[in-house]
Amino acid sequence: MAEFYGTTVADIFNTMPKRFKPEEAKEEDIAIGYECKGEGKWKVTIKHGTIKVEEVKGDLKGCATTIRAADAETFIGTTLGKIQAMDALTTGKLRVVGDVKLLMTLLPKIFVQYTVPEKKSSVVAKDIISTITERFRPDKAAGVDMKVGYDLAGPDGGKWTIVIKDGKCAVKEGLAKDLTVKMTMPAEIYVGMMLGTISGESAFTSGQVKLDGDMMAAGATSRFFNKFVDPNAQASEAEELITIKVTNSINCRFATGTAYGMWFKGLKEKKFLANVCPKCGRTQITPREICAFCRVRCNEFVELGPKGTITAADVVYFASPDPLTGAVRKTPYAMCWILLDNASAQEAFCFDIKREDLPKMKIGARVRPVWAKETKGTFTDLLYFELDK
Amino acid sequence: MKKQSEKPAKAHKKNRNVAIVGIGMTSLSSHKEDQNQPEMIHEAVRAALADAKMTLDDIDCIVHGNMELFEMQFHPDMWHVLGSGAYGKDEYRITTGGTVGATMVCAADNLVASGLYDTVLAIGFEKLQEGNTTGGITNMADPLWFRNIQTGALTGTTAAMMIDEFGAERAKKAAMKYRILMDKHAMLNERAHRRFGLEYDQAEDLMKTSPQLVGELRLIHMCSQSDGACAMIFTHEKRAKKVCKKPVWVRDHITVHREENMSNLYAFEKPEMTHHYAARKLFDRNGIKDPVKYFDVFEMYDPSAWWGLDWTREFLQLKGDEHLRMLEDGEFDLDGKLPLNPSGGVIASNPIGATAMLRPAEAALQIRGDAGGHQIKKEVRHALASGFGGTMWTVLMMLEKDLDW
Repeated sequence: MAEFYGTTVADIFNTMPKRFKPEEAKEEDIAIGYECKGEGKWKVTIKHGTIKVEEVKGDLKGCATTIRAADAETFIGTTLGKIQAMDALTTGKLRVVGDVKLLMTLLPKIFVQYTVPEKKSSVVAKDIISTITERFRPDKAAGVDMKVGYDLAGPDGGKWTIVIKDGKCAVKEGLAKDLTVKMTMPAEIYVGMMLGTISGESAFTSGQVKLDGDMMAAGATSRFFNKFVDPNAQASEAEELITIKVTNSINCRFATGTAYGMWFKGLKEKKFLANVCPKCGRTQITPREICAFCRVRCNEFVELGPKGTITAADVVYFASPDPLTGAVRKTPYAMCWILLDNASAQEAFCFDIKREDLPKMKIGARVRPVWAKETKGTFTDLLYFELDK
Repeated sequence: MKKQSEKPAKAHKKNRNVAIVGIGMTSLSSHKEDQNQPEMIHEAVRAALADAKMTLDDIDCIVHGNMELFEMQFHPDMWHVLGSGAYGKDEYRITTGGTVGATMVCAADNLVASGLYDTVLAIGFEKLQEGNTTGGITNMADPLWFRNIQTGALTGTTAAMMIDEFGAERAKKAAMKYRILMDKHAMLNERAHRRFGLEYDQAEDLMKTSPQLVGELRLIHMCSQSDGACAMIFTHEKRAKKVCKKPVWVRDHITVHREENMSNLYAFEKPEMTHHYAARKLFDRNGIKDPVKYFDVFEMYDPSAWWGLDWTREFLQLKGDEHLRMLEDGEFDLDGKLPLNPSGGVIASNPIGATAMLRPAEAALQIRGDAGGHQIKKEVRHALASGFGGTMWTVLMMLEKDLDW
């Protein structure tokens, strides 16, 4: 199992049940397939606040959405945010078959963000003792003649004697008879002191370390060696960059003016009112005060439609917020350009089409408006257009 | 196609010639959390001053701009004074949407050409990471009618129209070739934000599997959201000749807005696009008969591969499938007839308030021969640069190596 950013793909799946937020997933009923090349396949089934994570050997079956990563680095990197998911999706290193917006909407909602667990050091006393000769600094130990004994208790413990003489250092197994000083302690306390996670002073004070012999010599030994560095330790994280989070919410009130005033009055009566350019005959929908081409005022209003013909369509697959509520919209949805009956050939009217009609919708299709039960002269009066069958 | 105005072109009168004498850019990336806004601007300003061998004492006026709605910071110029160097100086703040960077270049040129100021520093920037681009664009739409429908800047209509005109296979292939060409250019530009290392043999796979955004507009086709800043210094002919070895001359520029409503773009009868209109007017009044032949580089604001490709036809006044053939024949490559976006374009890097300024800035670096890894090998004497924003607003400008027009 390949490791990237200090973790593996399996770690991410193994922690999924722990990171799951049942409260947020009460309404969900979905199976998501994951495939990470070279690592394996997983199926995550979320149903009414429960989660099941299983590794799959054969084909992924019965998954509404499948997420495929080209390699472990991509999967782990995007999970941790070390690699931009958008970039991985753009280059195809990350692929989603099914609902792409799930990545941005559902998953962050129902899971606590995965973080790399802090590694416990796997260093044992023997590892540290074995580096003593290479960490020895002869320049600091000139004229020193001493034997330091370590009696370390526990399964990873042992007995060693460090001999310093004539600017040289040697490590021998067992305890010499003529020790300058002997230190007795549990092996993990020694490891902790050497890694700096346990303070030597408090270990002495609390009696976890027992000294026999020349106490001053024991205190001096650290000078003769370079500090032990844990080879498994992760490079320390860069300093946190502090950002300030702000949400702006502003209530607005816009005057409609003469032309749009007529438009909204029309909507209230379930009518599409356009104004006509006296020069070029354009039927402007929505109505504008002047014709931008002819630069003349347009005062005459005509009713268009209500039925029309689709001239262009934008079928939207990428989740974007509803501009009126800010909520993420269900995809796909479509925005259509509709040439309403009696409109001039350049003037299409742009609006949403009924979701259920998307599969049958095409350019040239005839559509009719669907109005709200109660029309008030505002945006929400017109619900959508539907196919006119 | 209905043309908006058939009136004869008016020559653009200039009181005195204006040159670009300093260019500074930050690197462009998705996050710049190690810098706040004034600090990021300051980096670009310092780079531009160093490039011009000037100090702030030489600057008479500062033009500052971005899309304020994106970061929801009003009067950002007040916050940025220490970064922009505007302390104790005249300053103008400009916001025109996607075009803002190009509009600032036009404004700086006009301020110097008019004689109001001798040396002007223009700064375009954006930290899209700090705000909400889609929210900003939505709030830019007409609040009376259209904000209720539109979110963001994604549309698949151009893809649909190109597929309709040229057939699905050729159109999709061309859009992917355009996209990969831009990535190949970005790979040569160490400042570019997204450098994927795409190869042409990935086109087939990506055009099928890249997530669909809107219609046939897929994620692979779309531009990035970036953080970054660009600063440029402009001065008049007399001073430019004295202080600068390689001044780049601003020959002419045009700004075209269209009426505010998007609806009549996609009816059965289509109006002349602002890009076509702008180019037609600009070339006409400058006597450019064949833009492909005349220009040595085109830095175009290309928000997506589909738009970019489609717009080459509009800007370069091409007909039928001429633009597709140019792409297919490698004429937009760095060694082609008209190298397109040697920087990697907007698809590679898009810090919106700086984006439209990066176009003339990159074009000017090409004229100077200072573009670095993405420098065009043959001499660049005439450059074209465009900006785009809002409901199809266009800014188009011509830069020259020599004062000989």
